[in-house]
Amino acid sequence: MNAALMRLERHERGIHVVRRVNLVAPGRNREAVGEELIAAMAGGEHSAVCHTFSERNVMNVEIGDVTRRFGRTQAVAGVTLETGPGVFGLLGPNGAGKTTLLRMMATVIPPSSGRLRLLGRDPGGYGPRREIRRRLGYLPQNLGYYPGFTVAEFVEYFALLKEMPPGRVPQAVATAIERVDLSGRARTKLRTLSGGMLRRVGIAQAIVNEPELLLLDEPTAGLDPEQRVAFRALLRDLGERATVIVSTHLVEDVGAACSEVALMDAGKMVFMGTPDELTARGEGTGAAGDAPLERGYSAVLATARSNTAAA
Amino acid sequence: MTAAAVTSVRRRTPRATSAVPLNAARLLRVELRRNTMPLMLPLIAALFWFDSYRPSTGTSPLYGLRTYWNMGQGHTILDFGPFVAGVAAWMGSRDGRRGLADLVTATTRPRWAAQLATWAATALWAVAAYLVFVGVMFAWYAHQGVAGTPPWWWVAVGVAAVTAFSAVGFAIGAYWPSRFAAPVAAFGGFLVMFLSFQTGFSHRSGWALILPTNSNGSFDGSAQTDAGIFYPWLPDLPIARILFLAGIAVAALGLTGLAARAGGPWLRRAAALVTLAGVALAGSAVRMVSTAQESAQGVVIPALHDAANDAPITYAPACGRAAGVPVCVNPAYRRYLPDVTAALTPVLAEVSGLPGAPTRASQVAASYPSGGDGPPQPISFGSHPPVLRLQLGLLNTPGPCGGCAGPVATTSYEAQMRLLFAHAFVGAGSGTGSPVQQAVQAALLRAAGIPFAAQPGLIAGTENFPESGPGAATGPVYAAAQRLAAGPAAARHDWLAAHLAALRADRLTLQDLP
Repeated sequence: MNAALMRLERHERGIHVVRRVNLVAPGRNREAVGEELIAAMAGGEHSAVCHTFSERNVMNVEIGDVTRRFGRTQAVAGVTLETGPGVFGLLGPNGAGKTTLLRMMATVIPPSSGRLRLLGRDPGGYGPRREIRRRLGYLPQNLGYYPGFTVAEFVEYFALLKEMPPGRVPQAVATAIERVDLSGRARTKLRTLSGGMLRRVGIAQAIVNEPELLLLDEPTAGLDPEQRVAFRALLRDLGERATVIVSTHLVEDVGAACSEVALMDAGKMVFMGTPDELTARGEGTGAAGDAPLERGYSAVLATARSNTAAA
Repeated sequence: MTAAAVTSVRRRTPRATSAVPLNAARLLRVELRRNTMPLMLPLIAALFWFDSYRPSTGTSPLYGLRTYWNMGQGHTILDFGPFVAGVAAWMGSRDGRRGLADLVTATTRPRWAAQLATWAATALWAVAAYLVFVGVMFAWYAHQGVAGTPPWWWVAVGVAAVTAFSAVGFAIGAYWPSRFAAPVAAFGGFLVMFLSFQTGFSHRSGWALILPTNSNGSFDGSAQTDAGIFYPWLPDLPIARILFLAGIAVAALGLTGLAARAGGPWLRRAAALVTLAGVALAGSAVRMVSTAQESAQGVVIPALHDAANDAPITYAPACGRAAGVPVCVNPAYRRYLPDVTAALTPVLAEVSGLPGAPTRASQVAASYPSGGDGPPQPISFGSHPPVLRLQLGLLNTPGPCGGCAGPVATTSYEAQMRLLFAHAFVGAGSGTGSPVQQAVQAALLRAAGIPFAAQPGLIAGTENFPESGPGAATGPVYAAAQRLAAGPAAARHDWLAAHLAALRADRLTLQDLP
């Protein structure tokens, strides 16, 4: 066992990324992968997230061969995923099954088959499901809002629905609103806010209970560039302590904020690894895309689709 | 966004079981603050004013009559119910319409509990508004000097009805999260009220008495005017209706908890039990009301009846004198005492000193005979020495009159009282009387200042008077009456003293008149 592998073993309990990388790239040399990862962790651009690997002794999300059907449509077809604290990006084209996977993780809908454990609990049981929900933050893709509510009321409303201790609610609401930079709008009614601001209100309600598992479906949709930059910083901060799963179309968000990334297509997971690995998959392929990560994204999708067609 | 601004210490969210009530109270406060119901209240207030209050002012200032339209026939419920159902449906469909169902479902609190908080806020606004509107109306009635006791039990029925409308509307919205849920629920509420009115008009007993718009047996009949004056408002029927409406509300709310996303299996089982309990409660109320019997004080339901409610209300009568005879009325009728004494003075003077003449006149509670024994007798004689019993509640009192062509004139009221007195005095009872009784009646009226020519019209226009009278003022009855009236008062008095017993026993003919 060489030095790299030994260092890898030392982190084995927490570095599930390696296991996933091996899953999607079974032909690759494990030692080489370990070297790459450790190098990236040592001071790469994702160090803000990656330095928390030492805390990764818990699998907050454990998904085994999960499927979900809606009538004849199979939205999720046998997805397996494990992740602990950190920011996890979930990429994929429209209809790939990202939202359905997130809804299952949010305990909104149960899987049709497969194994799903969240925060060490099986959401199939009512008691565990409540406990999961108590520690869960969720931002749906199409977030509605109550137009007559103010920003503070909306966030307070969900804090109360999450059964936060009443004494903590006012401070938690103020903190959440501050984190999305809406303190000056706390008393503004939602009907008067822009789409981007409403998105930030949605993020505030998701983080008001300091969730251990935060599921964000298209969180940056409607945000202006400045807000997206700030949001990525917030994501990294949240990822210090919680498992944050971000579903998005915007690969640059993933590159900037996520330590790990998965790519879904047609209900299946076609890639799991780091953003750098995704970038690497696009190198020299001539895949479409303006940025390296986009080219990696396109290349993986193209490969997956050609494999499917061949099969 | 300020990622670094807050470096909160990682805390595991504690279970907050003990804080659940406080948490729920805060949730309710948020819902109350941002509920849609207050936006609808100005419209309901306007409707309440025009439909419930204004028409009631055209009736006598007695609670039984003043509230007949708005409480007895349920117009306050009509004004509230459809709108409350619509708003509740709007609130019930809110999460679905706004795309928040997923988000609410993914929270710790069961979705049913969150929905109940939304419903409770809507219902609280509606019930509070109902109580305020009715309270203001009653306060205004009190300011106007409306006499008697307000029908509080019927207010409770209204509260239960508003609650039921809100629960049913909410359930519709929860199961059909569409923008059309609200108008459909409102229209459905209106349709239910309309059908309830129609059923109430045609079904005077049995199960239909459960309908909150059915005034039969509660406000109509014996208890229409004198409930809350001579006897307390009987709570039997209101209690049955409250149980019925509460059952509907409970069942509707239970239904919202049956949805797959409402909560855990235990919660959904509890919701199923709540639904069944609500249906059972409503069904029991219908069964109970089917056993209802009408009494002089109102509707009696054996399973709910408390005999203590049959005890009359004690009162100190208001008294005056007419031709030396004491005339006493319930203090609620005090304002009509001068009219009553003025009406009775000439006829009492005419019969004064006769062996069957009344020694006093007292008001008694209005009472309709049962079993088709003819119309009730607003004025009758009873006991020894003879007492004139006045059921003033059966007469349209002077002033505004609900259901009449116009206000009742004092002269008309006095003339009707004289007619009813004369009719009772000759012993005609609830029938038209024999020709000789009709003739004496006509002569007495003539002596009291009512010309023969006016008497047929008076007979036709007097409420609760036998329809067929002596006919046109030119017939043989009036010819005999003219003979009796033409003579001196002393001669008439002497004839009556000698023949009154025979006259009342219907043993005389027209030829026996002088």
